Amino acid sequence: MSDIIVDVAVIGAGPAGIAAGVGAKEAGAEKVAIFERDWDLGGILQQCIHPGFGLHAFGEELTGPEYVHRWISKAREAGVEFWTNSMVFHMEDDGSFWIMNPSLGIKRVVSKSLVLAMGCRERPLGALGIPGTRPAGIYTAGTAQRLVNMEGYMPGNRVVILGSGDVGLIMARRMIWEGAEVLGVYEIMPWPGGLRRNIAQCLDDYGIPFYLEETVIEVHGKDRLEGVTVAKVDKNRNPIVGTEKFLGCDTLLLAVGLIPENELSRMANVEINPVTQGPIVNEFLQTTKPNIFAAGNVVIVYDLVDWVSMEGERAGRNAALFAAGKFKPGEKKIKVSGGDNVRLYSPQWLSGQSDATIYMRVTQPIEKSCKVVVEPGLYEKRLRYARPGEMNEAHVKLQDLQALGDVDEIVVDIKEV
Amino acid sequence: MSEERRIICTACPVGCFMIAKEENGHVVSISGNSCPRGEEYAKIEMTDPRRVFASTVRVEGGALLVCPVRSKEPVPKDKIFEITKAVAHVTVKAPLEIGQVIIKNVCDTGVDIVASRSLPTKQSVELVSQGG
Amino acid sequence: MSTQYYDIIIIGGGIVGSTIARELSRYDVRVAVLDKAAELPSGASRANSGMVHAGYDDKPGTVKAHFCPKGNEMYRNLYEELDFTLNKVGSYVCALAENEIPHLNLLLEQGRKNGVPSLEIISGDELRSREPNASKDIIAALWAPTGCIINNFEAVLAFMDNAQQNGVELFLETEVSDVLLSQDKRQVVGVNTNKGLFLSPIVINAAGVHSDEIAKKVGDESFVIHPRRGDYFITDKYVGNLVKSFFFPCPSEAGKGITVAPTADHNLLMGPTSIFQLDRDKTATTRDGLEQVIEGARRLIPSIPMNMAITTFAGLRADPDTGDFVINILKRPHGFVNVAGIKSPGFTSAPAIAQHIVERMKDELKDLVDFKPDKNFVPERKHIPRFAYLSMEERSALAKKDPRYAQIVCRCESVTEGQVVEAIRRGAKTVAAVKIWTRAGAGRCQGGFCGPRVIEILSRELNIPMEEVTRHGGHSRMLVGKTKEYWFREGM
Repeated sequence: MSDIIVDVAVIGAGPAGIAAGVGAKEAGAEKVAIFERDWDLGGILQQCIHPGFGLHAFGEELTGPEYVHRWISKAREAGVEFWTNSMVFHMEDDGSFWIMNPSLGIKRVVSKSLVLAMGCRERPLGALGIPGTRPAGIYTAGTAQRLVNMEGYMPGNRVVILGSGDVGLIMARRMIWEGAEVLGVYEIMPWPGGLRRNIAQCLDDYGIPFYLEETVIEVHGKDRLEGVTVAKVDKNRNPIVGTEKFLGCDTLLLAVGLIPENELSRMANVEINPVTQGPIVNEFLQTTKPNIFAAGNVVIVYDLVDWVSMEGERAGRNAALFAAGKFKPGEKKIKVSGGDNVRLYSPQWLSGQSDATIYMRVTQPIEKSCKVVVEPGLYEKRLRYARPGEMNEAHVKLQDLQALGDVDEIVVDIKEV
Repeated sequence: MSEERRIICTACPVGCFMIAKEENGHVVSISGNSCPRGEEYAKIEMTDPRRVFASTVRVEGGALLVCPVRSKEPVPKDKIFEITKAVAHVTVKAPLEIGQVIIKNVCDTGVDIVASRSLPTKQSVELVSQGG
Repeated sequence: MSTQYYDIIIIGGGIVGSTIARELSRYDVRVAVLDKAAELPSGASRANSGMVHAGYDDKPGTVKAHFCPKGNEMYRNLYEELDFTLNKVGSYVCALAENEIPHLNLLLEQGRKNGVPSLEIISGDELRSREPNASKDIIAALWAPTGCIINNFEAVLAFMDNAQQNGVELFLETEVSDVLLSQDKRQVVGVNTNKGLFLSPIVINAAGVHSDEIAKKVGDESFVIHPRRGDYFITDKYVGNLVKSFFFPCPSEAGKGITVAPTADHNLLMGPTSIFQLDRDKTATTRDGLEQVIEGARRLIPSIPMNMAITTFAGLRADPDTGDFVINILKRPHGFVNVAGIKSPGFTSAPAIAQHIVERMKDELKDLVDFKPDKNFVPERKHIPRFAYLSMEERSALAKKDPRYAQIVCRCESVTEGQVVEAIRRGAKTVAAVKIWTRAGAGRCQGGFCGPRVIEILSRELNIPMEEVTRHGGHSRMLVGKTKEYWFREGM
C-alpha cells in the first residue's frame, strides 16, 4: 500500500480548492493534486444553477456550473491533478491524510504543504431548538437545492422558508418555477440574511411575502409535515404571545446559516476560531500549522464566490512557496481584533510581512453613512451602509504597518461617521 | 401621468435601492444607483423588465437525471412561466456540452436556452472512478 | 388477509420485547414480534438517556430494585457477545445543597441493600478533580462505578438481530387491533392486526406506553399507563468530552432529574424533563421543556455551550399507576403475559426481566408450548462494521473486500455505503432505520448531506421509486414527485 506523494495537496474541488490548485501551479509547484469526494468537480456550485457568479472574476454574470467550468478548464490547463471519488476521511497531526476511493481502496497522501478547502455546511433544524414533532418534509435549503437541481426530485409542494440566507431566497424562486407554492419567508432578525437583490428578484418578483422578526415556533405533523406555527418575536427573539399563526404546509426549508466544515482541520490540530468556526489564519491564509493553509468558506463564510476563488488562489500560491521552502513568515505576530460592531472577521493575525486584506461582517446593521477602519490609522473607507448579510473588506498596506513600529494588536471596526 | 417606482438593482450584488420617475411613459429620472449599470438596469426595468432564466431539463442516459440550463440572455419577465413550461417538456440525450443549444429562440423571444454544464453519460462516470 | 400461526407472539419490539424474543430464541418455539413502527427501536427504547443504571435508586424489596442491578450486570457481560456499544464510565448523583446530602446517604444505603457494588460518596472537590467541568456548587456526589452508558439503538437491534438469526420473525408496521380469546374467554388464541391474523396460544404484552390498552383487550384493568414525556438536547461531539461520566442531580418525585452525559458516540446528552401528557404517541418537544433542560443541565455543568446543540427529541416513558413494573402471567385468560410499565430503570432491567419471565413461562405455560431447547442456538452476533471506529488496517481490508466500504455516505459520522446496504439487508426500510442502524444522519449536519444519498440507496436496494422512500414509514414520504411534473398537469 504505497502512499500518494505530492508537493501541494488540496482538499475539496469546490471554487476555493480549484483556485488553490491554479494558484499553486502559478507559483511553480510541480505536483499539485486536488482530492474531491464527489465523482464530479465544482462542489456546491454545481447545484447553484442560477446566475449571479463571476461579475468580479470574469466581468459577467454566470451560473454556478458555468463559473466553475471556467476554473476547472484553467486548472486542467495549468496541469493540476484531480482525484475524484476520493473522500479525505482522516487527517494526522502532521497534515498527512487518508483518502478512500472505491477503486483504490484506502490510501495515505503525503504532501509538502496543503490547502484546506472543504467549504461549509448548513445549520440544521436541531441546532435551533424549535419545539414540535420531527416529520418528513424538513430540509435545509441547500439539500432541497441538490434534490431539485441535480437529482430532479421535488421535496414538497407547499413550502415555508425559515431564514433569509441567500440559498433560501434562491430556492423560493426555484420552487415557484417548479410549480410549488411558497407561503413566505420568515426571518427572526430585524434584517435580511441574504443579499437585497435576491429579495428583489426571488421574492418580490413572485409576490412571496417576506416577514422580518417572525419565526417558526413549532413544527406539526407525525409522518409528513402538516404545518408550522409562526409568531412575531420581541427584541430578545422570544415569541410574542398572541401573534401565533398556523400555516398549513408540507415542506419547511431552512436557510438559517452556514458553518465552516472543519472536522479534518480539527483532526490535524489546526486551531479553530470559536466565532468564525474556521481556522485561525494569517494574511497568507496560513493556519496555526505552518504547512497547512486554508481558503474559502472553510475559513469564514463569504457572500461571493469571486472572493472565495481569489482567496483560494492566494492560499495555493503560498502553499506552493512553502512546499518549495521559499515561504518564511517571521516570528512576529500582530493580533487582529474586532471592534464593537465587528464580530466575524478573518485573518485573525498578521505576520507583518505583506499587504493584507481583512474580511469582516458587522454585528448590527448601519443604514447610513459609515466607515470601515483599521486602527491605529491603517485604513479608512467610507460606506453608504453596512449590513450583516453583506461582507466588507479592509486593506492594510505593509509600509503603513511597518511605519507603526512595534505594534502587537490592530483593531478592525465599522462605525458611524 | 407621472409615476414613481422603487427598484432594487439586481445588476450586481450591491443591490442599490433606486427610485425611478416616469412621466407619460418616459423615464425622466433615476436616483439611488451607485454606478451607470444601475441606471441602465432601471431604465430597462421600467420599460421592458427582463430576467435570466435558469432551470433544468430532463436527460436520458446522463450521469444525472437533469441538466442545468439557462437563457443565454435575459428574457422578458412576463414570459418566464411560458418558458418554464417549454423547458419542462424537453428531454435531451446525454452527453451534453456546456453552451449546447437546448431550445432555439425559446417562445419567440429570440433567446436560446443553452446547457450550463457539460454532462457525461451515466456509463462513463461509472467507468471512471479514480483520479490521476 | 393472511393468517399466520406461531407458538408465541410478542406485542412490541422495544428493549422488553427484543430481550424476551432473544431469550425465547434459545428454544425450539415459533416466535413472532409485532411492532407498529416502521423501525426498531421506537417509543421509549429509542428516546431515552442511554443509561444502564447501577441500581441504587429503587427501594429495596420492589420489583425494580430486584431487576435493575441484575440487568446492569447482564449488560456488562452481554455487550461483547451481542456487539453493542457499552461504555463503563460510572455515574454521579450530585448534591447541590447541604439538605441534599441525606438523600445521597439514603441512595448509598439503598444501593448497598440492592447489591450494587463499590458505591461511595465523594466530596465536591474530589468530583471536580476527576471532572473539571462539574459545577463548583456541587458539594458532594454519590459515585457508582458500575453505571454504564449504552447505545440504546444498538442494544435493541442486537437482541432482536440475534433473535432473528435464531429464528424469531419480526413484523414491522404491524399494529395490534385486538387480542383474540377462545369462546369461553379462558384462553388466548392470537391477535388481529392491520396485516392480518396472527394466531398463537401465548401473547406477551410488551407494548410499552400502550400496554394498558392491550391488557384491557383481555379484560385486565389492573394497571393504567400514564405517558410521561421527556425532552432532550444532543450536542455536537466537539463538546462531548465536557464530562466523562453520567451526571444526575438529586432525584425528586418526578424522576431522576435533568442529567448530563456523554452518549455512547461521544455527543453530549442533556435531559430529560418529566411532563405528564395524555397523548401516547406525540413525541413533540416543547419550548418550556427545552428551556427546563438547559437550565437543569447547566446547574450541573455550567459551561455547556448551547450553540453546540445539533438536535432535540422527546420520548414517552410508560409510567404505570402501580409505581412498579407490572410483570405477571394471567390466570385468565390463560396464555396472556404482561411485561408492562417498564419505566426507568426499565432499559437496565429488561434483560433480567426477560430471563425471569421466560423461566416462569416454561413452568406456568408448559401446557401450551413445549419449551424444548434449540440445539442450534447461536448466542453471538456482530453489528454492522462501525467504520468510524475501525483501525486503518481494518478499514483497508473492508474496502478491499467490498468497494462500497470505500464510499462515504454520511461524512459527519463517517458512514460508508457498505454499512447502509448491510443495514437494508438486515431489514432497514426507512431513512430513520438506516440512521438507527448506522448513524448516517445522526451527526452535526443531521442528514443535510447524506439525506439524498440515503434515499437513493434505499430506493435502489429495495427496488422502489425514490418517491416511495419514507422517513419513518406510513405517510412520511421524503419526496413528493419529480421536477417538471407540474407542467404536465392538465390545464397547465
